[in-house]
Amino acid sequence: MVEVLQQIINGIAIGGVYVLIALGLTTVFGILGIAHFAHGSVSMFGGYLTFFFVTSWGIPLLLAILIALLVGLVLGVLIELLAYRPVRDANHINAFIVALGLTMMVEGINLELFGHEQVVIPTDFSRVFNIGGVTIPELRLYVILAAALLIAAMTVFVERTKTGQAIRAVAENRDAAILMGVNVKTIPLVVFAISTALGVCAGVMVGSLFAIAPGIGEGLVVKGFAVLILGGLGSIPGAVVGGLVLGITEALAAGFISSAYKDVIAFVVMISVLLFRPQGLMGKA
Amino acid sequence: MLNVSNLRVSYGAIEVIHGIDLQVNQGECVALIGANGAGKSSTLKAICGLVPATAGTIEFEGQDITNQSGHSIVKAGITMCPEGRQVFPQMTTLQNLRMGAYPRKDAEQAADVEEMMDMFPILRDRAHQAAGTLSGGEQEMLAIGRALMARPKLCIFDEPSLGLAPKIVAEVGETIARVKEMGKTILLVEQNSAMALRLADRAYLFEAGEIVLSGTGAELQSHPDVAKAYLGH
Ligand SMILES: Nc1ncnc2c1ncn2[C@@H]1O[C@H](COP(=O)(O)OP(=O)(O)O)[C@@H](O)[C@H]1O
Ligand SMILES: [Mg+2]
Repeated sequence: MVEVLQQIINGIAIGGVYVLIALGLTTVFGILGIAHFAHGSVSMFGGYLTFFFVTSWGIPLLLAILIALLVGLVLGVLIELLAYRPVRDANHINAFIVALGLTMMVEGINLELFGHEQVVIPTDFSRVFNIGGVTIPELRLYVILAAALLIAAMTVFVERTKTGQAIRAVAENRDAAILMGVNVKTIPLVVFAISTALGVCAGVMVGSLFAIAPGIGEGLVVKGFAVLILGGLGSIPGAVVGGLVLGITEALAAGFISSAYKDVIAFVVMISVLLFRPQGLMGKA
Repeated sequence: MLNVSNLRVSYGAIEVIHGIDLQVNQGECVALIGANGAGKSSTLKAICGLVPATAGTIEFEGQDITNQSGHSIVKAGITMCPEGRQVFPQMTTLQNLRMGAYPRKDAEQAADVEEMMDMFPILRDRAHQAAGTLSGGEQEMLAIGRALMARPKLCIFDEPSLGLAPKIVAEVGETIARVKEMGKTILLVEQNSAMALRLADRAYLFEAGEIVLSGTGAELQSHPDVAKAYLGH
């Protein structure tokens, strides 16, 4: 039982990372219908950047994360303006190709700037809490709390602010949103800025919990899309539930079967869910 | 108040509005009638900035709004309640109403939501229900309430009675009459020509992308061509 709880805690931590990645993907998909494959690599860029600030410039961790977040916001705006906006009204295959090209480009930039060695963002959170036999490393606890805080903030933003509601409105009915007075040119900028900043947070979490290396971002974006499909495309609650389900399943699979099979088992779960709920766990039928 | 002159609209290479002129004066209710596909919705969409005008000008309160972006036209004071209602289906009734006030920054938005719910009590019962689960008539009331939330100077309705049961159609008619009493200027498109001409001070008859007849509501109602083709007697 303790062992199961232990794996669930581990699963929530990695699930939180998946949720943050998936939130960005799902809002972008919702308003633009784009599968933004480069999201994982851009997120890892944020992780690398934080690593660089901390190790090369000696910037304190929290300040480094804050700067990386701001860079993420700007990067998101640039990606929308320079990469996706020009193909906004073109055939969907164009955006698809742009997304693939951007992925390769960002992976290349990461490799050029930060090398091919894996890096771990150093933190000095080394305490380990023990609650009834379940051990929770301090860092893992902070990751879970930070992810929960970001998810809550994102939910409040989307549900309680005018800009957040405008994002939903554009996703549900673009023309009607225009008739409400929504500027449909600025909303995608906001969405990309926020999504990329959330991605940077996920990158920092991966970089401090595990490690960042070439290819990790691409793997993560595949998981992110699995989460979207699992939870229901375009649904924020779906991304949260899907991310946690995927993270926990993977952790249980790794803990009790074999870590070599954890990805396989995660996808088996996804396919099984889709057999019974093709619209995803939280998707509208 | 609204002055459209020589407006032309095309979809790709196909022109569907061939240079029309129409005016709406302050406080008036003006109806556009005509068969399906005559170009009424396209005209409204051009006014609201949803489709580009290929020629001509659209002026609102003396200001040229031709081919301005949709959101700036809303800011100028024009709101449309679109064909097919177009509520945000997964957002609640309340969220839909609040979306209507999107450009507003004043403190009276919550009071206006209450006012809309007083005007359409069914919306209060459905406040926290996803708008997509409302009946057609309820969605129409929501769409009208949402449009009024912007406090528009000119309120455009595109086929508000489309696909509704006769009893609800009558309710929609009464609602538009009330909106008129509120002092709003109205541009109304209706398949239900009898209702439109009863509500309207003036009307224009569309045929194949052109305006072929215009006059007061009463004039058009008694015009032999209109009576035969559109009023069914
Ligand atoms: N998005 C569109 N693309 C191409 N043609 C369109 C589009 N919308 C309308 N049309 C055409 O424009 C003409 C006028 O349509 P519309 O303005 O909707 O007429 P109405 O509202 O009077 O029924 C019709 O021939 C219609 O087929
Ligand atoms: Mg029409």
